[in-house]
Amino acid sequence: MTVIAPTVASEVTPILDRVETEIEKNRVPAEIWNNDAIFRAELDQVFGTCWVFVAHESELPKAGDFVQRRIGLDPVIVTRDGTGGINVLSNYCRHRGTQVCQTDTGNSRFFKCPYHGWTYSNNGDLVGTPHMREAYGTRLDPKEWGLKRAPRVDVRSGFIFASLAHEGPSLDEYLGGGGWMLDILVKLAPGGVKVAGPPERYQINADWKAGAENFSGDAYHADTLHWSNEEIQMIQGLGANAEMMHAYELGDGHATLGFPWAKVGLPLWGYSPETVAQFDLSVLDDAQRYVLETNPPTIGTIFPNFSYLRVSSPTLPGGPPTVVTTFRIWQPIAPGKMELWNWQFVYECQSDQEKLDSYVTGQLIFGSAGNFETDDTVAWEGAARAAKSAWMQRENLSFNFEQAGRTTVDVTPDPDYHGPGIKRPTGFGELVQLNFYRHWLAVMRGDASSTTTEGRHSR
Amino acid sequence: MTTIDTTEHAPPAVHHSPLADAELQNIATQFLALESKLLDEAREEDWYQLLDPELLYVIPIRQATEQRSDEVNRAAFRVRNTLAHVRLRIDRLSTAKAYSEIPPSRTMRLVGSVLARKTDRDNVIAVSSAVLLYRQRGIDPHFDLIPYRRNDELRITADGPRLLSREILLTEVAIATPNLGLFL
Repeated sequence: MTVIAPTVASEVTPILDRVETEIEKNRVPAEIWNNDAIFRAELDQVFGTCWVFVAHESELPKAGDFVQRRIGLDPVIVTRDGTGGINVLSNYCRHRGTQVCQTDTGNSRFFKCPYHGWTYSNNGDLVGTPHMREAYGTRLDPKEWGLKRAPRVDVRSGFIFASLAHEGPSLDEYLGGGGWMLDILVKLAPGGVKVAGPPERYQINADWKAGAENFSGDAYHADTLHWSNEEIQMIQGLGANAEMMHAYELGDGHATLGFPWAKVGLPLWGYSPETVAQFDLSVLDDAQRYVLETNPPTIGTIFPNFSYLRVSSPTLPGGPPTVVTTFRIWQPIAPGKMELWNWQFVYECQSDQEKLDSYVTGQLIFGSAGNFETDDTVAWEGAARAAKSAWMQRENLSFNFEQAGRTTVDVTPDPDYHGPGIKRPTGFGELVQLNFYRHWLAVMRGDASSTTTEGRHSR
Repeated sequence: MTTIDTTEHAPPAVHHSPLADAELQNIATQFLALESKLLDEAREEDWYQLLDPELLYVIPIRQATEQRSDEVNRAAFRVRNTLAHVRLRIDRLSTAKAYSEIPPSRTMRLVGSVLARKTDRDNVIAVSSAVLLYRQRGIDPHFDLIPYRRNDELRITADGPRLLSREILLTEVAIATPNLGLFL
């Protein structure tokens, strides 16, 4: 298990101790936002150990295809090599550290460092060093001096994850209930889902945790922050959102809100009959089918920074509905700063027109110009600012998650739900968000195995 | 003896068309200046009157690629709006609850490098321009600068020019402003 570097630990440990005390009171100290020491420790403890999403296989259809992504702050090249294998390679030349790939995407068998010309195959092996005889006499070992590889890479339903930890739970174990829920979103049709296009990116003046927390279970903000969309009739009934959403606590920091789409006349999120005809629900187990029929996953987070949203939306007010699926990562950039990477996804089996409607409408509501998302990007800035305030630091400012102890709505888990974790029959309670921070705390302490194991899949 | 070929620099040939080049250029600059003023003054309804019913407003995705020609993926977009989408976005801004634009960002769209040319369609001209959009949002202590190029088509109507299509090529691949909740 990774241990926090001693220099960082002296600053971070007292903060984590306060987080632990405050969470018991259903509060979270503001000081975990926009904090240099916490950010540094997150790079080690969270992004240095967890499985993080780096790309979807549909972004790399052909041999030689690559995309450049980041794990924490580190640039990595995700490649499909000549044998069809997926590689996640550190983008630092082993000779002097120069970035061997300076592009976001492309197709190449080799990455040649622009500095001295060390050349790597797209599986990471060092295959060339200029003036080899004069410079080195004999070949340098291609593996020993190859690009550093993410120690572990694995794929779930086309979603490529990497972990910088040599040991730990497998991807399937790590995803647990979160992966079980992900399957409900993406495995319904043979061929699965694919990206509608490359990701769009925008910088937000907020910590990565702000987006991850919100998507894990914040049903409460929708009828305030997003009310403008109710007034222009792009959505109806937002006022009942927190009441109608059911919160799934899936364990290990993963969580989902499920909306009762069938109850509003949109079973299976309202996919068209033509698309539904392609679905094969036999891939799901009984508990997954129960979720699908009652409160299918609508908005969720896979710890730490991978989130999704699947909703039915009118293409225009009064217009025909379409189904939007967005996946996004909350990419850490600096304390109090993240880059949002946003992809729209479609089912491979949808018609071209349906795919286009999904893409256009997805960007219309959740994207850099999205009618919902633009308001989130601004609301999330507050925590980072408050945390930096000398005054608020003197006040030991904590944020209020007290719905957890005060809600008058029944939060008793649904006895008919037999999947991983628990399902509560409401979106009130802020219990999911508190769980997110509880898990974050455990990961930051290097002891993720000790918490929230109830969500581990027990099949 | 070598000579320098001066053809490129020669004055353009005179066209016997309804729209002379100088007039085209004048129409384009006047139009771009007017809409910038309207948008900077938060007069979106007046700006809306300048849009053609067949408007297509697109912000394609740009990525860092080895070849400049591969940078812009026109099958992929941040925004792909018809006139009805623009209407919707203006309606939302008018609800007084579109919180990212309350108060409206103070903006200044500086438009330059305007090039206008005819197209093969009657009464449709193509206009390329470069824009620096200065934005100060809410009570931000800082400002955002959004640089982009536009490829527009204007339809010349009896009521004046109307924006028929707009393609916005953002200079940045990852934009430094937190959202595009305004019109570019």
